[in-house]
Amino acid sequence: MMAKQHLLPIDEQPERYQTLALVMTVSTAYLPLARYLNWRVTAFVALVLLLRFAAVRWPAAAPGRWLLLTLTFVGVANCLLANHTLIGKVGGTSLLATMLALKLLELRARRDHRISAIALCFVVVVQFLFDQSMGLTLYLGGIAFMIVALLVDLNGGMGSNPIRRAMPVVLRISLQALPLTVVLFALFPRLTSPLWSLGFDQDRATMGMSESMEPGSISELVINGDLAFRARFDQRPPRSDQLYWRGLVLWEVDNRKWSPGRAGQYQPADPELTQAAERIDYEIVLEPSQQRWMFSLDLPIEHPPNTVLSGDFQLLSDRPITTAKRYRLTSALDFRTAVPVEAEQRYALRLPANTSARMHAIVKEWQLETDSDWALVQKGLDFFNREEFHYTLLPPKLGANPWDEFLFETRSGFCEHYAGSFAVLMRIAGLPSRVVLGYLGGEPNRIGGYHLIWQSDAHAWVEVLIAGRGWVRVDPTSAVAPSRVDNRGASRLLGAYTPARFHIDSSGVLSIAIRQLRLLADSIDAAWQRSILDYSAAEQTRLLDRLGLADYGEFALAGIMVTAVTVVMGLILVGLIRQPDAIDPATHCFALLCRRLAAVGLVRHAHEGPLDFAARVAVARPDFAPRVNAITDLYIRGRYMPNPTAADIQSLSRLVKAFVPTKQRRSFSDTKRRKYFA
Amino acid sequence: MTFERQMHRFRPAPITDSEHPKARRRVESLRSAVKRMFKGLLRKAPMGKDGVARIAARQIYILPTRIGMLYATTVLVMLLGSLNYQNNIGLLFAFFMASVGLVAMHHCWYNLLGLAISVRSGPAVFDGAAALFEVTLSNERAGSRYDLRLSGGLDASTPVYLNAHDQRGIVFAQPTRRRGLLWLTDLEVETRHPMHLFRAWCYARGQASVLVYPRPAVAAPPPVQDSGDTHRPAARTGEGADDYIGSREYRHGDSTRHLDWKAFARQRGLVVKQFGGDDGLEVWIDWAALRTPDAEERIRLLTRQVLDAEAANLRFGMRLPGTEIGLASGASQMQRCLRELALFDDGQTTPPPH
Repeated sequence: MMAKQHLLPIDEQPERYQTLALVMTVSTAYLPLARYLNWRVTAFVALVLLLRFAAVRWPAAAPGRWLLLTLTFVGVANCLLANHTLIGKVGGTSLLATMLALKLLELRARRDHRISAIALCFVVVVQFLFDQSMGLTLYLGGIAFMIVALLVDLNGGMGSNPIRRAMPVVLRISLQALPLTVVLFALFPRLTSPLWSLGFDQDRATMGMSESMEPGSISELVINGDLAFRARFDQRPPRSDQLYWRGLVLWEVDNRKWSPGRAGQYQPADPELTQAAERIDYEIVLEPSQQRWMFSLDLPIEHPPNTVLSGDFQLLSDRPITTAKRYRLTSALDFRTAVPVEAEQRYALRLPANTSARMHAIVKEWQLETDSDWALVQKGLDFFNREEFHYTLLPPKLGANPWDEFLFETRSGFCEHYAGSFAVLMRIAGLPSRVVLGYLGGEPNRIGGYHLIWQSDAHAWVEVLIAGRGWVRVDPTSAVAPSRVDNRGASRLLGAYTPARFHIDSSGVLSIAIRQLRLLADSIDAAWQRSILDYSAAEQTRLLDRLGLADYGEFALAGIMVTAVTVVMGLILVGLIRQPDAIDPATHCFALLCRRLAAVGLVRHAHEGPLDFAARVAVARPDFAPRVNAITDLYIRGRYMPNPTAADIQSLSRLVKAFVPTKQRRSFSDTKRRKYFA
Repeated sequence: MTFERQMHRFRPAPITDSEHPKARRRVESLRSAVKRMFKGLLRKAPMGKDGVARIAARQIYILPTRIGMLYATTVLVMLLGSLNYQNNIGLLFAFFMASVGLVAMHHCWYNLLGLAISVRSGPAVFDGAAALFEVTLSNERAGSRYDLRLSGGLDASTPVYLNAHDQRGIVFAQPTRRRGLLWLTDLEVETRHPMHLFRAWCYARGQASVLVYPRPAVAAPPPVQDSGDTHRPAARTGEGADDYIGSREYRHGDSTRHLDWKAFARQRGLVVKQFGGDDGLEVWIDWAALRTPDAEERIRLLTRQVLDAEAANLRFGMRLPGTEIGLASGASQMQRCLRELALFDDGQTTPPPH
């Protein structure tokens, strides 16, 4: 091995600083990955990198072939032990990270360095499968720049002080590559569906709202501070108490939880509204949830392509949402649904087995006191308002009969408690009802001009079928007296942002400033999301539409791309070739003088020095002599003397500009002139 | 029987040990002929009136290196993966790396564009030694050029860089295989700047030649002494019959017969005993006086005689068929004779046609 090292040609031998720079770059690129990989993999990679650093300092520490082979086996075994697989997102990334680290242990020729630097690209690109935030992109953009710098520096041929010479080259290449990157990114035809799947997405946990609701499920979600989606209204946004973002509709209730059930079999394929007013157009960017349901403002009347609007107005995507999804919607804020069929009404009346006598008794009491369905609903809401019901994120634990226990014993809970038990009460009263899961409200971001809807805005409410009015939204949580809302628990559990319903006072200067900063950061994030992450085949199709080339599809796109790349590349080349020649100002001035003299017939010969030329001019045109001599003196001082002063150059420039020779009239005989300029 | 004999004729002749190198040489010569023909088709930068070849845009060739292929494969895999998983940032990264490659390709080409190349001849050498040319690369523009090297030389040349309006001379060694003028008409300059992803190269025309003296024979019979019409054989052999007049350091081309072996054994280095104090001694180095049938061998013997005669400080002249160099002595006489021998009969005095 040592012998091989000595046999390397001189320009293939790496410098020590090059090895060090490579190892440092690889280590830096690994850092963000540590969050996602098993600690065993991270530990192994860190160990190998430490060994590598040691080998830079003490070359004798570099492992021999057998140790390297052993380490490779250990590394693969370590990956298997940590992930139980070598494929998939985490498994594959772990193996890649381990292998690149091991490759660093056999850096001999510059060629090895180059291969490692190129392989580092993979480590960069897999990280985007985990995280696509702007911060990470900028960080890894720095790594990409370093990869270019390493390759330029490794190529060498720059003489002494190579780093200082390489840096402008690297900068120029990177900057010139940027416009090309933008063109390629915008115009490279995208796939509308994946060609293959390595199961990268299967190991992702679902996020956000779960499919069923039981006491405690929403409060868990609320404590999670993630963003659910962003919404941008085309016109004025509705009032905040109108912002009911509809998600799932739950029909089935058992002893503990509400679940979607099978209501779809009774419903028409295309739901209809008998009345729809106050139309509102808006756009939603949904964070990936790995689920199919999407959110819409109550009630959606037009839905985007590749989605289904079910009979109970649930918006469903045809595929699980794995990346941020942008869609446009139209909703009606004032609506009246059609009367459902008999079977559906019966389905919405099924009761759980554990309804108690107390529940039946109180409903009986309300029925006696009222004469209409709607009055009965109001009676139920009054009950929540009148009695000592508390609204809290930290409800006491409920036993085997949660609905009864909440209504008559604990009387403190979150929206799922109120909605769930209210719907059960209404069903006992014979009113078909269902629970809707979604979000309420949202945080307006005035900087970005959109609303942020957080997981902490998660909410549940009830829809009751009222004769003559269709399904009517009833929010039992809002019936709770504001004085009985537990703000302390909320402010402790919800970090920066608390939903409006908790009425937490945040008027301090610092908290307002922090809030503004947070909104600004989110606006940037949203712009990133809109312009980069969400850019897809749909935007490209829209672009083609605008150009009137939609019929040609990908071919038109590819054609435009090739043309644009060629144009940009051509511009870069023109920029390269048309580099201004940096001639010094003195030469520039003297060239001007020569041009002006040539115009009156005094052409400077190629072999003629400035002094000779001045002497010849002085003979030919004695009237020019003083000024030409002065100019020539200044030129020689500015061009050939060490450290020419700026004043000299300035006066030279001034003199030359002022000197405009004119043709002579017969003061000099033609024969004589011919003699001089033969 | 006749049939068998005929069949025998068609049977491929077994390659014997003596024939094998010949067959290989034939294949090699064929290969080099094809190569030469192909090279003749390539565009070359012509030499300008000032003897300098300037590389124009269409005279530059460029191909990816192995590292470049690896880079392209990496970018392609990243591109396909990111497309498949609709990972826009991955795509952005892949496009950036692809753009960098594309820009690097143009920089590689631009690094050679407009490069001015000129060749100068080096000193005469004996056949077998390396002929040295001086190649001047000059940068006539305001930007620097990096990683320029000459390919096809005897030793791997180290890359050079040129600052703005800078020039640099590189010694370019070529092997010599025969006497005569060794012409250097094509120069290959290459670069892998900036990222080693592409190799750009170009051919420049030049016109320089190095005079290659014949390889001197190890030993030669003493030349014909004296002048006159009669070519009598040397009466006195040169074996130390002259007076010993001193010694000097060994020079390339000295006859081994005059080496002072005793001095060598005493570790004084290679020292040559000098004879021939007899100033008046005149010798003729004569083509006709040698009996060797092979002309090249004869020239090598003559070369040795010239070197010996000069070393012995004799006055000598040389007769070759068709030319005669009069009696004289000294280094200039030796050079005149060696030049005549180098170019005799077979010397390429004119450059090969372009």
